[in-house]
Amino acid sequence: MEALHLEQVVKQYGDKTAVNGISLKVEQGEIYGLLGANGAGKTTTMRMVLGLIYPDEGRILYNGKPYSTELQHLMGYLPEERGLYPKVKVSDQIIYLARLRGMPASEADKSLRYWLDRFDVPEYYNKKIEELSKGNQQKMGFVAAVVHKPKILILDEAFSGLDPVNVELLKDTVREMRDQGTSILFSTHRMEHVEELCRNITILDRSNTVVQGDIREIKKGYPREAVVLRTAGEVNGLAEIAGVTAVERQERGYLLSISDIGAAQRILQLAMAQGEVEHFEIKEPTLNQIFIRAVGESNE
Amino acid sequence: MNKMGSIINFTFKNKVRTKSFMITTLILVLLLSIGMNVPYLIKVFKGEDGAKEATQIGVVAEQGFRPTELLLAYTPPAETDAQVEFTVYTSADDAALKQGLEDEKIEGYLTFASEGSEGVPPVTYHSKDGDISDKVQSYLQTALQQVNTGLIVGDKLTESQVAAIFAPVSIGTEQLNADAAASGSEEGDAKPVINYVVVYVLLMLFFMSVMMTGNMIAAEITSEKSSRIMEILITSASPLTQMFGKVIGIFLVGLLQIAIISASIAVNLMLPHNSGILSDFNLDLGQLNASILVYGFILYILGYFLYALMYAAVGSIVSRTEDLGQAVMPVMMVGFVSFYLPLFSISNPDTLLVKVASFVPFTSSLSLLLRIGVGHVAFWEIMVSLAILLATTFVFGWLAAKIYRTGVLMYGKRPSIKEIRKAMKAYKI
Repeated sequence: MEALHLEQVVKQYGDKTAVNGISLKVEQGEIYGLLGANGAGKTTTMRMVLGLIYPDEGRILYNGKPYSTELQHLMGYLPEERGLYPKVKVSDQIIYLARLRGMPASEADKSLRYWLDRFDVPEYYNKKIEELSKGNQQKMGFVAAVVHKPKILILDEAFSGLDPVNVELLKDTVREMRDQGTSILFSTHRMEHVEELCRNITILDRSNTVVQGDIREIKKGYPREAVVLRTAGEVNGLAEIAGVTAVERQERGYLLSISDIGAAQRILQLAMAQGEVEHFEIKEPTLNQIFIRAVGESNE
Repeated sequence: MNKMGSIINFTFKNKVRTKSFMITTLILVLLLSIGMNVPYLIKVFKGEDGAKEATQIGVVAEQGFRPTELLLAYTPPAETDAQVEFTVYTSADDAALKQGLEDEKIEGYLTFASEGSEGVPPVTYHSKDGDISDKVQSYLQTALQQVNTGLIVGDKLTESQVAAIFAPVSIGTEQLNADAAASGSEEGDAKPVINYVVVYVLLMLFFMSVMMTGNMIAAEITSEKSSRIMEILITSASPLTQMFGKVIGIFLVGLLQIAIISASIAVNLMLPHNSGILSDFNLDLGQLNASILVYGFILYILGYFLYALMYAAVGSIVSRTEDLGQAVMPVMMVGFVSFYLPLFSISNPDTLLVKVASFVPFTSSLSLLLRIGVGHVAFWEIMVSLAILLATTFVFGWLAAKIYRTGVLMYGKRPSIKEIRKAMKAYKI
């Protein structure tokens, strides 16, 4: 039984289709990546999952059942724009939000203190949100999303605006929550985060699903087109090998683009014939490359 | 309902703690206290109360001039406000008079025209600024009138007869019993003045409170929407719970403010030096029609909820605080009509316009208050008007919740009526 199951979900705004038939499954204790350029339909999909807006077609199942108000207590949400009261104390508003999600005040207070300690900022308890930096506001938004121990967590651009230290901190937290059985739907356009965290992804482009599935499977589906070669000395004639489309001289070796996998072996043989090979690697395509390929050159 | 409690509590606490609320309330209390103490302060500035200094006025006339003698003999009635002391000078060029005017010891002097027909000849008052204070003027008027009578009557009447001529005729008022009023008697039975004062104060207080809290609600919802916390709220509690939680929370804020203001009025009235105010203005709390306060409270609650729901609906449609002022305009306009209509009709509360207004739900709360307080209204009219208001409030509650549910998720340009209607059909409350 999947924690979250979207079946052919369609959302239209007027005559514009915002989401065109997305289907996906998130298992319990899984982090699912939702990728796409700006305006691809990520936020709309998330809002439908949250029950904020209703799909025009298709359906969304939570543990096999349709949306009901009990889910309000089981879901956590971090919107892209933080979403906190600027002039209210951290403790007041986070306990309030937890109580709205059905957690008793005393328990909410305990949970909030745990999270503030976890993020090493217990002094924020009595601070107003507007007194905090943007990154710290983001962290408080994250605390607000998880304080009531949700079973389904929805993070819209959770890592944007954070420094690398805090990104690591948040990643660890997200992994920890996954291991405790929380299902996480996660959107971003930072590919390296996705590769580290997610097993399955969906790439959206202008409302349509263009790539979907297990990241390793997806990568296998794309030809491996790059070879990294490091040798003790110079290697001549690399560009003349059949199947090599480009040779880039790097600081300590070569980066070669190839059009078929057989060329890789020919490169290795040529290099070994000319000297000692220190490093040889046929690189998998990065998610970034896959994304660019799938979404098209027009987007980053 | 637990969630509703959290929302009410959160809204109330945060609003009461805001600086703007504290400052507004403080300013209102200060203004009220100053306003209510103005009569006393004036007394203080005019010198120690009781020991009022007499105004010095010169009279220029020759020795043995009959009107002057009578004027000097004039004794004012006991409760006169002004004290005037006359000094006779034989000529306007008298050195003592000039010095007195220069030193502002003497306010001015009177001259008489050369003797005319019977009675007091025309009198001219001379002073540096050419002004005469109302009190002195009325004192002189009364005094000269009496001199005039004295001159004409001569010795034909005794002193007590003259005094009787000048004694004011008393006009008493009596309210006809309630049954007679309710049966629609259109007799001009004036209500005790205290009722006008109370209606006036309640109109101001309720209008101010509803407008202020209404704007508070709209601003709160719009800011929640623009900070996107609304998305978290909507996924945590039903929109209906949230909207009513806010409306009730801010209702309590308004109630607190009214309580503070009422308390400050009461305290000011009870200050020892102010004990005379009510009687000075001929007001008697015993004459107060107590039902005004009871009905007033009911009408305030219903009126508040109707307007609060309208403000909530408007606030939920707007996505940026900057656009809010423009969007609440129509609601404010209706609010102004509902306030100024009874305010301008306070001396004439039984016109057809007020009658109609007291049945229209948007204006009925204040117009009906006016009619109950100082006009004529039958019991069934009150009940019908209240029923209409209550029903409208319920319909608006439902409608506002629908708009709220729809509006809070609409961003970008202000949605058209058609878009709202279409979206409203889609959402359950």
